[in-house]
Amino acid sequence: MPVITVYINGQKISTESGVTILEVCKANNIPMLTLCHLKGLHDIGACRLCLVEIEGVNRLLSGCTTQVADNMMIRTDTDRIKRYQRITVELFFAERNHVCAVCVANGNCELQQAGYAVGLDHIRYPFLYPECNVDTSHPWFVMDHNRCIMCTRCVRVCTQVEGAGNWGVMNRGHDVRIISDFNTPWGESSTCTDCGKCVHACPTGAIWPKAVAQGQLTKYPEMIGELVEKRKLLQ
Amino acid sequence: MDKPAAKKILISPVTRIEGHAKITIALKDNGEVDQAQFHVNEFRGFEKFCEGRMYTEMPTITPRICGICPVSHTIASVKACEMIQGIQPTYTANLLRRLMHIGQNISSHALSFFHLSSPDFLLGYDSDPASRNIIGLAEKFPDVALKGIRLRKFGQEISERITGKKIHAMGIVPGGMSYPLTIDNQQALMQWIPEALDAVQTGIRIIKDFHAANADMINSFATSPTMYLGTVGPHGEHELYDGLLRFVDAEGNVLQDQLSPTRYLEFIAERAVEWSYLKYPYYKPLGIEKGIYRVGPLARLNVADRMKTPLAQAEFLQFRALGNGQPVHGTFFYHYARLIETLAGVEEAAMYLQDPEVTGTHLQTFGRWNNATGIGASEAPRGTLFHHYETDDSGKLTMVNLLIATGQNNPSMNRSITDVARQYVHGAEVAEGMLNRVESAIRCYDPCLSCSTHAMGKMPMQIDIVNAGGEVLRSLQR
Ligand code: SF4
Ligand code: SF4
Ligand code: FES
Repeated sequence: MPVITVYINGQKISTESGVTILEVCKANNIPMLTLCHLKGLHDIGACRLCLVEIEGVNRLLSGCTTQVADNMMIRTDTDRIKRYQRITVELFFAERNHVCAVCVANGNCELQQAGYAVGLDHIRYPFLYPECNVDTSHPWFVMDHNRCIMCTRCVRVCTQVEGAGNWGVMNRGHDVRIISDFNTPWGESSTCTDCGKCVHACPTGAIWPKAVAQGQLTKYPEMIGELVEKRKLLQ
Repeated sequence: MDKPAAKKILISPVTRIEGHAKITIALKDNGEVDQAQFHVNEFRGFEKFCEGRMYTEMPTITPRICGICPVSHTIASVKACEMIQGIQPTYTANLLRRLMHIGQNISSHALSFFHLSSPDFLLGYDSDPASRNIIGLAEKFPDVALKGIRLRKFGQEISERITGKKIHAMGIVPGGMSYPLTIDNQQALMQWIPEALDAVQTGIRIIKDFHAANADMINSFATSPTMYLGTVGPHGEHELYDGLLRFVDAEGNVLQDQLSPTRYLEFIAERAVEWSYLKYPYYKPLGIEKGIYRVGPLARLNVADRMKTPLAQAEFLQFRALGNGQPVHGTFFYHYARLIETLAGVEEAAMYLQDPEVTGTHLQTFGRWNNATGIGASEAPRGTLFHHYETDDSGKLTMVNLLIATGQNNPSMNRSITDVARQYVHGAEVAEGMLNRVESAIRCYDPCLSCSTHAMGKMPMQIDIVNAGGEVLRSLQR
């Protein structure tokens, strides 16, 4: 890969081409907020937190899905970006029913961390309070749609890493939901292998093991990326 | 001119209790009290919104009902979960839970006595209501106020030293505990014991002095006899955390003993009344009229045969002597009973802290859903608390019933305020200090309304004086 030069927040950086802005930022310790990104999975730009401004481009782009180009002038720290990030995180909270105080992921949740990162102290949008199912049918795990942010990390890990393809997405807009198989209870899925990768991949308290109490949840999302690397070695 | 119609006095909001409530005093045509009612107006529907959640979430959800007795809720809840799973906590976990429960009890009792009730005793029932509170107390009796505040802090520090949190009962989980007690924290807590003992003993001196100086009032203050319900250990000893239930009748006869809390529905029935969200529970075998029973410190000391620790036992004997072989019915003695329990709590805390296993690290056993039903109980500061869960075979809650201490005391609270109102209220133009006495009957029970009706927060309360036609003649609101 040819080496190119980009400028991130004024800093001149040499990097190989064909990589995303997020990857360059990570390699150079430039902080970037992410939620739907998980190393080992294909990025889809769903959460819109990794926003960047690129000189000559009017709209904000997602850093996880935008590849660097030679002499690209990139900013990750503008007020505009911060404003949009904050709006986005607020909307996540307003969209479903997040009661952190009683959530199993409390203190161990990437959405909560994003909230802290954008300085969330209140939410300016009306809460939708949608009625959401809590699917407890799986013998080991719970899927609580109240806390799902539709990042689809579960869908991607299940398809791209485990190869089972249990999880999918149904409906649009506010009615969009993660579904198991063709919308059957998770416990009745014919494709789920009970591997638990989605439990680790899920950034929030939406998927969790029945055996844990609040304060005991340990998720290990990095495991997914490590697994993918190890599998490459075996091929 | 028409003759004055029968009147009602409404005391609303009752100050210095937790929650929102209202007292209505109904006057007869001659201005004397017909009856008084204690209404609770908020309803939070806690049970309903828990349905559909996993039962394992209940120990985290239910302590949020109330900031004063979260540990009792968590303990009742984890016990219900342990019944569903069919497991037992470890020895160390039991010690730590006992400590946390004692800590909460001490801080709740300290709040009730020093912050909420002692202003009446030390400043006087008729003193200026604006300063008849902990602030006023701190001005006139700074040492007492400080002791009360420190005692409450000790209670909170127990939970903080075990789990890192002062208020909510994190770390108490089905099967045991999430956090161990470190040796440093164990020693830091032991340091508190002498100071905490001194603070409780100060409280006991205050209440005894007040008893001595006001014997007439105390001995005639809301003394209607009732049954009592409380938890006792295997030898009939006073117990807050584990143990089985005992019912005694108004003469002190033991009607039920070593009763598993899982059988609560066989012995307790509830009746809804239209003027309050609090239901009227009663002892089923005796029916609504005769089955009126009380829970809480007074009840626990009336059902127990003895205390577990020496200083508390000495006080217990003095307390029981007040009843001349019968239960102590005087509602005022709730305060004394509360302080004896606090004394026992400090002594027991020292006992558990010295157990070599208290810093052990075998903290949790594990299980999964095995039984549809889970029922757990604990003795909350205000009395016996039951959590009852029904689940489907995936562990999802299909029914939640929480039977709360204040709910169980509700019929007696009404009886007590009626007694006191009849004694002190004559006509609508009654002095504020007299209405304060009516309120103080409620404060004896230390009701926590936010949890008993599942209402949120601390709200003030009001007293209405109403005539027989329901017309409000006077309304006190502070
Ligand atoms: S998933 Fe995260 S943000 Fe949502 S309730 Fe749980 S802890 Fe809070
Ligand atoms: S369940 Fe979790 S991983 Fe799946 S889409 Fe929702 S938040 Fe993302
Ligand atoms: S991390 Fe880039 S859009 Fe979600």
